[in-house]
Amino acid sequence: MPRLARLRSKIGSTAAVPPAPAAPRLSEACILHVDMDAFFVSVELLYRPELRGKPVVVGGRPDQRGVVAAASYEARRFGIRSAMPLRTAARLCPQAVFLEGRHQLYEEWSDRIAAILARYSPVVEMVSIDEAYLELTGTERLLGPPLAVAHRLRQEIWSRTGLPCSMGLGRTRLVAKVASEQAKPRGLLWIPPGAEAAFLAPLPVGKIPGIGRVTEAALARLGIRTVGELAAWPREKLETVFGRWGTALWSRARGEDVFEFLVDAEPKSIGHNHTFGTDVDAPEMLEAMLSLLCQKAMKRLRDAGLQTRTVTLTIRYADFHTITRRRTLSEPTELDSVVLAAARQLLARHRDPAQKVRLIGVSLSGLTHPSPQLPLFDAERRARLHRLARATDRLRDRFGFEKVQWAGSLNLPEDDRS
Amino acid sequence: MDPGTKKSQSSEAMEFSTKKIDLLEELTAAQGVVERKTTIPILSHVLLEADEGRLALTTTDLELSLRTQCAAQVKKQGSATVPAKKLLDLIRLLPDEEIRFRAQENFWVQVICERKTYRLVGLAKENFPALPEPPPVLARVPARLLADLVVRTVFAIASEETRYTLNGALLILRPEGITAVATDGHRLALAEAGHKFTDPALREEVRVLIPRKALLEISRLVPADEDASVEFTRDTNHIFLRFAGDRQLIARLLTGQFPNYEAVLPRENHRVTVIDSGEFAAALRRVAQLADLRSQAVKLAFRADEMEISASSPEYGEASEVLPVEPASKVRDPLTIGFNVNYLLDFLGVVSGAIRIELKDEQSAAELRPVEEDRLRYRYIVMPMRI
Repeated sequence: MPRLARLRSKIGSTAAVPPAPAAPRLSEACILHVDMDAFFVSVELLYRPELRGKPVVVGGRPDQRGVVAAASYEARRFGIRSAMPLRTAARLCPQAVFLEGRHQLYEEWSDRIAAILARYSPVVEMVSIDEAYLELTGTERLLGPPLAVAHRLRQEIWSRTGLPCSMGLGRTRLVAKVASEQAKPRGLLWIPPGAEAAFLAPLPVGKIPGIGRVTEAALARLGIRTVGELAAWPREKLETVFGRWGTALWSRARGEDVFEFLVDAEPKSIGHNHTFGTDVDAPEMLEAMLSLLCQKAMKRLRDAGLQTRTVTLTIRYADFHTITRRRTLSEPTELDSVVLAAARQLLARHRDPAQKVRLIGVSLSGLTHPSPQLPLFDAERRARLHRLARATDRLRDRFGFEKVQWAGSLNLPEDDRS
Repeated sequence: MDPGTKKSQSSEAMEFSTKKIDLLEELTAAQGVVERKTTIPILSHVLLEADEGRLALTTTDLELSLRTQCAAQVKKQGSATVPAKKLLDLIRLLPDEEIRFRAQENFWVQVICERKTYRLVGLAKENFPALPEPPPVLARVPARLLADLVVRTVFAIASEETRYTLNGALLILRPEGITAVATDGHRLALAEAGHKFTDPALREEVRVLIPRKALLEISRLVPADEDASVEFTRDTNHIFLRFAGDRQLIARLLTGQFPNYEAVLPRENHRVTVIDSGEFAAALRRVAQLADLRSQAVKLAFRADEMEISASSPEYGEASEVLPVEPASKVRDPLTIGFNVNYLLDFLGVVSGAIRIELKDEQSAAELRPVEEDRLRYRYIVMPMRI
């Protein structure tokens, strides 16, 4: 299985320093752009299926001061757009359902999608919460033709999450991105090598990533409205008008870009801690909190498709004296019970019962991908526990984390639960 | 200098001589136990004890100890310690002559051979760890049999130190037989032999969990002599094995529960294939060149009368070989199953001739074993990989 690579793009830096003309890529270069359709709305619809087919706006109540974070396609028909003030949206479509954003929930679903994407390419770049580029160059022999791969991936995302997305497949990131935009919603568009210019030519220049209102207006003054018209201009002339940005415009009109995939390391650890409202020394209270923190951390671990080998307990006493103690497990695990037992043992062994505790924390490190090697002992019990964890996670995704818990964390007072 | 040390000096004025060839043989044997990288200096030393016509040599790493001896002309009884590795390297280079040892003040040990004189830095012998005394002999185990059992199981021991109870092999002695079993949680090697023990002391089953290092020493110490036997006994925490040549190995046992291995022995592996172990190993070694570096996975596709071995690595490419096989069961449905290639090669390294591969499905343990069983019944259980 390819390693889950989280990536960061150079977009910021290249925008600041206009790039030199890009050397044409090899013809087999192949980039897939995945863009979730109305992501926040789609996630909310998983929990509120009765709202399907209705205009839905995520961002807040219509009388609030915020802006639209996402709008369903039904709402867009009324002219509602992202970043529009909520009041304006309410005026355009009074019957729309307005929902508060639940960002953490969207991030969890984003992680889950990232985990699916990671199985299709060793190089996955999540450029935002709902958008990713996959480098499919060179994966053909392993996975099959890119178009078929993209199709399979789209089906898998749909069947495993119930979230719709659109995809663009092309020789460069720019072409892939423009293609996915054109494919929306729920579409897949492939621009074969050589067809880039023809595909881009009729589009308005504003569709090219990096061309904003200012450039659009400047181009309009030159009589350039479509990408085709831009591509017809000689490079030198564009450079005279726009300087180095002109060089970039010239190559972008041809579908060329200079983005590179930049690999960020995977998470090195996953941790949760809690500061008590009032300092605590009751062991049952500490154990209950420890249980909750372990469950939360383990859920995130599983969502990222990882296992942990090392459990670290942090205790900060009332006087701010802080200790951390760690234990290495005999083998990596994704099971709550194993990690919780280790954390409990650390707590029992290392806590000074004479002092009150201000903060308690659990951190998981030594993160690895599950081994494809099956275990000889206990295989059935492990498989059952694994299924239990998966089912628990699915219920939590649907009804909220607190709805399914191990009994150990149930006797926490309301204040300390969040 | 404190008075205690002074006293020991005067009473321990050891002096003896011995033949180079005798000493070299015992020193070499003792070397296996000595820790190279120890933080306790005395553990890198060998304890020399001269007493009535013989020299006893002792080395230990606290977990494992070896006591051996050779003939010597003892002028003054006594004892001393010297760095074991240094002494061995020096003795090796000396001519095949008589070598004289003499303990001197401040734990120095003088070594003289012909007109060559050396002085080695010793340590107070009082600091050398005391070894436990063996209880009466429990059983005499045929030496070759013991070595065979060890060789067929030791490789399956877990290498990860955190899996403590899997860091050794379980040895079971029964009045009518002997069993060795080792596992790392992914595969398991089980070797059993029938043997009528005539020792009256062995009345019931004896189970001991022996660490890997001790097992490797056992296989080194077993003499080539086919008929020799090893005297076996134990106390609560140790086993004591006395080999020919009066070499005694003492190993601290691992504590803890060895997993219930009998529960994982396959019972429904009805798809049986017979193949030559040499050809199989050679093909696996070639295909392994293109296996994924991290997972080391190879795919075995069993068809009616052939088996395809394949592997692929994103970096280097892919491999496929087809071998003719002999179906040995009625069940011949095609079955494709993945394994860590090293687990298969480990087994193939200790067997020869035709082997049986017994499978159930792609998720269940496979059993491999030689078709021809000599005096050992040998079963090797491997869990597959998801592919």
